[in-house]
Amino acid sequence: MRLLIHTTLFLSVFIFIGSSRIFSVEPSPQVQADTLVNTADTVGVSVAPVTSLLVDDYKYDNGEQLNLSWVPSIDDQLIDGKVSVYRVYRITNDSTRELIAELPPGSNSFTDKNLNRHDTYRYIVAAVSASDDEVLSTTTEPVQPQREWINFRRGYLFLLALIIGGAVIYYIQSARRGKKLFVRKIAGLEAVDEAIGRATEMGRPILYIPGILDMDDVQTLAAITILGRVAHQIADYDTKIRMPVSRSLVMTAARETIKTAYQTAGRPDQYSDDMVSYVTDEQFGYVAAVDGIMVREKPATVFLLGAFFAESLILAETGNSIGAIQIAGTARPAQLPFFIAACDFTLIGEELFAASAYLSGEPKALGSLKGQDVGKAIAMIVILVGVIAVTIGNAWDVKFMNDVKDMLTTIFSTQ
Amino acid sequence: MEHVAVWIAAFLTLGIISFLYKDNPWYKLSEAIFVGISAGYWFVVLFWDNIYGKFWVGVFPPDVVDEAGNFVSHGVPDYALIVGAVLGVLMLARLLPGVGWISRWPLAFIVGCTSGLYLMNYFSSNIMRQVQGTIIPLFGIGYGASVYEIIGNIVIVGGTFAGLVYFFFSKEHRGAFGATAKVGIWVIMITFGASFGYTVMSRMSLLIGRIDFLFGDWLGLIK
Amino acid sequence: MRREVPLFITFFIGMLLIFSVFIPPMESLGEDFTVFFDIIAVFAFFLGGGNLLRVHVSKLTRQKRDWQYSIVTLLGFAVTLVIGLFKIGNPGGIAAAPTAAGSLFQEIFDYCLVPLGATMYSLLAFFVASASYRAFRAKNREATILLIAAFIILLGRTPFGTVVTGWIPESFDVLQVPNLAVWIMNAPNLAGQRAIMIGIGLGVVSMSLRVILGIERTYLGEDKS
Repeated sequence: MRLLIHTTLFLSVFIFIGSSRIFSVEPSPQVQADTLVNTADTVGVSVAPVTSLLVDDYKYDNGEQLNLSWVPSIDDQLIDGKVSVYRVYRITNDSTRELIAELPPGSNSFTDKNLNRHDTYRYIVAAVSASDDEVLSTTTEPVQPQREWINFRRGYLFLLALIIGGAVIYYIQSARRGKKLFVRKIAGLEAVDEAIGRATEMGRPILYIPGILDMDDVQTLAAITILGRVAHQIADYDTKIRMPVSRSLVMTAARETIKTAYQTAGRPDQYSDDMVSYVTDEQFGYVAAVDGIMVREKPATVFLLGAFFAESLILAETGNSIGAIQIAGTARPAQLPFFIAACDFTLIGEELFAASAYLSGEPKALGSLKGQDVGKAIAMIVILVGVIAVTIGNAWDVKFMNDVKDMLTTIFSTQ
Repeated sequence: MEHVAVWIAAFLTLGIISFLYKDNPWYKLSEAIFVGISAGYWFVVLFWDNIYGKFWVGVFPPDVVDEAGNFVSHGVPDYALIVGAVLGVLMLARLLPGVGWISRWPLAFIVGCTSGLYLMNYFSSNIMRQVQGTIIPLFGIGYGASVYEIIGNIVIVGGTFAGLVYFFFSKEHRGAFGATAKVGIWVIMITFGASFGYTVMSRMSLLIGRIDFLFGDWLGLIK
Repeated sequence: MRREVPLFITFFIGMLLIFSVFIPPMESLGEDFTVFFDIIAVFAFFLGGGNLLRVHVSKLTRQKRDWQYSIVTLLGFAVTLVIGLFKIGNPGGIAAAPTAAGSLFQEIFDYCLVPLGATMYSLLAFFVASASYRAFRAKNREATILLIAAFIILLGRTPFGTVVTGWIPESFDVLQVPNLAVWIMNAPNLAGQRAIMIGIGLGVVSMSLRVILGIERTYLGEDKS
């Protein structure tokens, strides 16, 4: 109930601010563009030139883009059109003109990118006939792209990130103050303890595979944070962990993580760098080696957590064939079905990122999960309101509903 | 030369396939070759691409020349790259006794980068874009949808909704909420089934590719 | 101190990148940092490669089980490294790209790594078969649903599906397997994908915040090391 209240509160704030449209995009003012046309520099009069060529600064960028727009040649018709192509020429500072784009008939705008805001630019657009006769527009006045310091186009993104990020931080703080939070049981994570216990009883190692990507992937980061919790339990049970990795940085991070876990568990002397070893960066070379380790060392428990690609099934099936308990998890939807088919427990998408918080049992970490739920509730309410609005607005043309729909589309558009 | 190379390739191919029977010396040999060569290969590629291609060329850029090879201007050096190299060198502090802890700085930098970059990327691509994509008219534009399409649209919206309910952590899956979560996991299972069925066929073609190599390129039995 | 500095670095860099999205002059920061990452990763390889050498040399010297294969690994590693770094057998010499056509380095790739990788990849065909077999013995309702959906999609991609359900009258043509497969891909499959993706998005936001705020920090080690 309280969750519902908080969600409603967040949502009403966001709709209120949203509807006031404080960040709505103003039409960009025209920057020093020349509108004189039609006095064309004509080479072989076969088509009429483009008219009203305008250059605008591209708003809210780092001074690297200019927008061009024009009215197409009157000979650019859908049927029997005489224009075969438009050529856009640029003159940087006072150098000679260079061709920067060829656009199909019907084009009436172009965005010139990768410019330098310290340079000045002039443009010419040529209408070209089928016989390759160019008819040039007049040259625009020199324009410099302008740099803006804040991208107001992303105002709604900022607002939404603030609301959902704020919800996460709010619940972390309230848990820190001692508020009790409920988190439902996640089967795959409940099984971790049992899986480690099993390896201990059998006297066999635990194999931990953190995926095949480097530390610049968020799934690998999740795998390392989970490792922190799992290694702590492994140290408690005094079981062996084996962690072959395919990236050197992951090796370094994993060693630090396991070392910390052994220290906090009060067994620093049991830790050894040999627990983590680098194999190769090559995807299938790594898989060949891990498969070999599986069949030779017969680990009792296998963790497959992180970013996996085609190798997911090769690893999971080999693990299955040696009778290991397997706990897998990834955020790649295409690989999840294979884990589900071949592993005992699978963490699906979001559960992978929630796992370390869940396993830690620390109130502030659990608080962040509650914050995530607020995000889900907001998403669900927006979907529901949006679908009702667009369905009614579309079928019966109700203005209010169309306004609601337009507002949601504006807020959730990503640029 | 090429003939020998094809024989080597065939030898290694059969070595890997032999793993399906059981672990054996042939597989172990192929695996050892694979690991050794590939580790060396990737270091070489990354060294030339990143240390030479990105760092060295970035800090000491060549002169800009025109098509005829005449000098146009000096390249603009990007000295910021030195920060990256310094962080890289700090990473090696682990090799020295006593100052190993300094290697946590580049690690902290990388973790900060990954968190910050992914947070905003996923926020717009996964949350905002998917929510926006789910806002669809149930009866189609101007009431134009067929019965199947209407059912499909209801399934899309209802399924997404139920799937999200399944992922709720802070509420017990009981009663109506639990029933919705159940529907949610069913929808997710259909997704996985679809993905599974879709992939099975393409995996078979991989095997056909290798058989084609063995019997075609190597033995010449298939033309 | 040893712990505070890295925590501050993570916090500062994380926040900087979050805000860079809204500040045009800083928008390229993410790309710049990615290049830094690429450079750091190569330096880190000295640790990884060093570890690979250490593991296999120690296996060799202590004559552990299967030590003979370590010789092969070490040889393969050293030879590839020397050939690639000094561009031995490269027709273009030291100035050419290491992977230039006709270079010894590229031949190693073409005739060793490609067949090895492709064969390892092709083992999937066998593993898909065994996984499908296991899925066939669907243990519970969820597994049964997965199986049915997989079966329909699989049938829908083969002519067999058309043959089996071709008799269904046109007014119920959605029930013909190929059409049903399309419907599954476009409706429930899409719904599931969306729910998973939104969930992942929220999970990433929440975990990243925990990392940036220093709640998740086991990777940074203990204060006293």
